[in-house]
Amino acid sequence: MSNLGFALEGAWKVLLAGLILGAGLPAVFALGIRSMAFGAGGDAEVDHAAPHPVGRLVAYVLFAVVVLVALLGITYIVASGFGKTISFEHVYPAIVDK
Amino acid sequence: MILALVVVTALGFDFTNGFHDTANAMATSIATRALRPKTAVALSGILNLIGAFLSVEVALTVSNAVVRIQNADGTPKESLTTDGGTALLLIVLAGLIGGIVWNLFTWLLGLPSSSSHALFGGLVGATIAGLGWAGVNWNGNGTKLDGVVGKVILPALISPVIAGVVAAVGTWLIYKATVGVAARFTENGFRWGQIGSASLVSLAHGTNDAQKTMGVITLALIAAGDWTDTKNIPFWVKAACAVAIALGTYLGGWRIIRTLGKGLVEIAPPQGMAAESSSAAVILASSHLGFALSTTHVATGSILGSGVGKPGAQVRWRVAGRMVATWLITLPAAAVVGALTWYLGNFVGGVAGAIVIFVLLLAAATGMWLRSRHAPVDHNNVNDEWEPVPASAPAPSEKVAL
Repeated sequence: MSNLGFALEGAWKVLLAGLILGAGLPAVFALGIRSMAFGAGGDAEVDHAAPHPVGRLVAYVLFAVVVLVALLGITYIVASGFGKTISFEHVYPAIVDK
Repeated sequence: MILALVVVTALGFDFTNGFHDTANAMATSIATRALRPKTAVALSGILNLIGAFLSVEVALTVSNAVVRIQNADGTPKESLTTDGGTALLLIVLAGLIGGIVWNLFTWLLGLPSSSSHALFGGLVGATIAGLGWAGVNWNGNGTKLDGVVGKVILPALISPVIAGVVAAVGTWLIYKATVGVAARFTENGFRWGQIGSASLVSLAHGTNDAQKTMGVITLALIAAGDWTDTKNIPFWVKAACAVAIALGTYLGGWRIIRTLGKGLVEIAPPQGMAAESSSAAVILASSHLGFALSTTHVATGSILGSGVGKPGAQVRWRVAGRMVATWLITLPAAAVVGALTWYLGNFVGGVAGAIVIFVLLLAAATGMWLRSRHAPVDHNNVNDEWEPVPASAPAPSEKVAL
C-alpha cells in the first residue's frame, strides 16, 4: 500500500476519535453548564425561570464524566511515556504493556 | 568540541521549539482572558517540563523517518563515524542550525510554523548537501507510513483539516447546547473548561516535542563515542531538554500567540474550549495511532474551525492563507539553510568549520532578536485589537507587511 493509503487509513480513525473526544466531550460539558443554569434558575437563564434543583445534580454528573475522560487522557500521556498504553479490551480501561 | 556545539545547538533548538509553540496551547486562553498572559505561559511551561520528563520512550530513531544517517537500531551509520563522528555531527549541527534560523525568522514575522518541520527540513537539507539525494528517506519502503512524504507532508495536509472539522463541530454543538443560558453564566464555566483543555495540550506538547531533541543529542553522543546504549537516554540529556523547552515556553512567543489568539478569529471562551479540546483529542489520538503530526498545524486548524463553527463569527482568511503559505515553505526553506550551512562548515572543514557556522548562527539569532525590538510584542500588548492598528502599538502592522 502506498503512503497515501496509510495516511488516509490513519486519518479517518483520528477524525472519528477526534469527533467523539474533541467535539463530544466539550458538548457534554456545555450540556452540564446548561443544566447548571437550569438548576440555578433566575438570572442564569435568559427567561428567568424558577430554579430546578435536579438540574444541578445532572450538571455534576455531566461534569464528572468530562473530568473522568480528561483524567483518562492524562493517564494515557503518562502511560505512553513509560512504554505502556491503555487497553479497553475489558470495557473498563486498564494500563497494559505496549 | 563539535559534540559540545551540537549539544548546545540542540538545546537552543529545543528552546525555540518551546517559545514557538506556547501559542498552540495558550493563545486561546490568553485571548479570551481566561488566564492572565504571564500565568498562562508559566502554567504551560511547568506542564511542558513535566511532560518532557514523562517521555521516557526512546526517541533515538526520530530522524530515521526522513534521513538515512542511522541503522535500524538507532546507531549511526558506520560510514559516518569513522572520523570520530565528525561527518555525522556536521550534518546534525547544520540541520539544527537550519531549524533554529527558520524558527526565529517565522517568529519574527509572528507566523506559527511547525518546529518539527523546521527540524526535519534542516536535517534533510544538511543530508542532501552531505550525502546526496539518496541520503534522504523520501517515500519510505511501502510497508508503513514513512519517509518525508508519509511522516511530514501528508500529515501536514491532513491534520489541520481534521482538527478544523472537529473544532467546528464542537463549537457548533456548544453554542446549540447553551442557547438560553445567560452569557455571564457560560463565560465563567467555559473559562474553566478552557484552562483544563489547554493544560492537556501543553502536557502532550512536552512529551511529543522534547523527545525529538533528546533523540538528536543522544544520536550525536553515540556518533562521538560518548554513549553506547541505544535503549536509553542519559539522564542529563533528558533534564537539559526538559528545562530548555520549559524555559522557552515560559519566555512565550508573544508574536505568535498574538497571531493565533487575535489574528485568525475573535475567540470567545466557548470557542477556545472547543479549539483546545479538538487539539488535545487530535494530538493524543494521532500519537496513539502512530500518525506523526505537528502540534502547530493542529492548533491552527482547530482555531480556524472554532471560527467556522460559531454562527456569525468572522474568520480572517487572509491571515490563515499566509500561515498555510508559511507551512508549505517551512520544510524547503529550513532545508536550504541547513544545506548552505553544511557546505560552509564543510568548506572550512573540521572543528573550525563547526565553530564558524555556530558563530554565524549566534549572529543570525542576535540580528533577528535586535530586529524584533523595533516592534516588540509582549505580555502587555499581546491582546491589543488586531485592526485597526493603534498608533501606540505598531507591532501588528509590522507583521502584516510581509
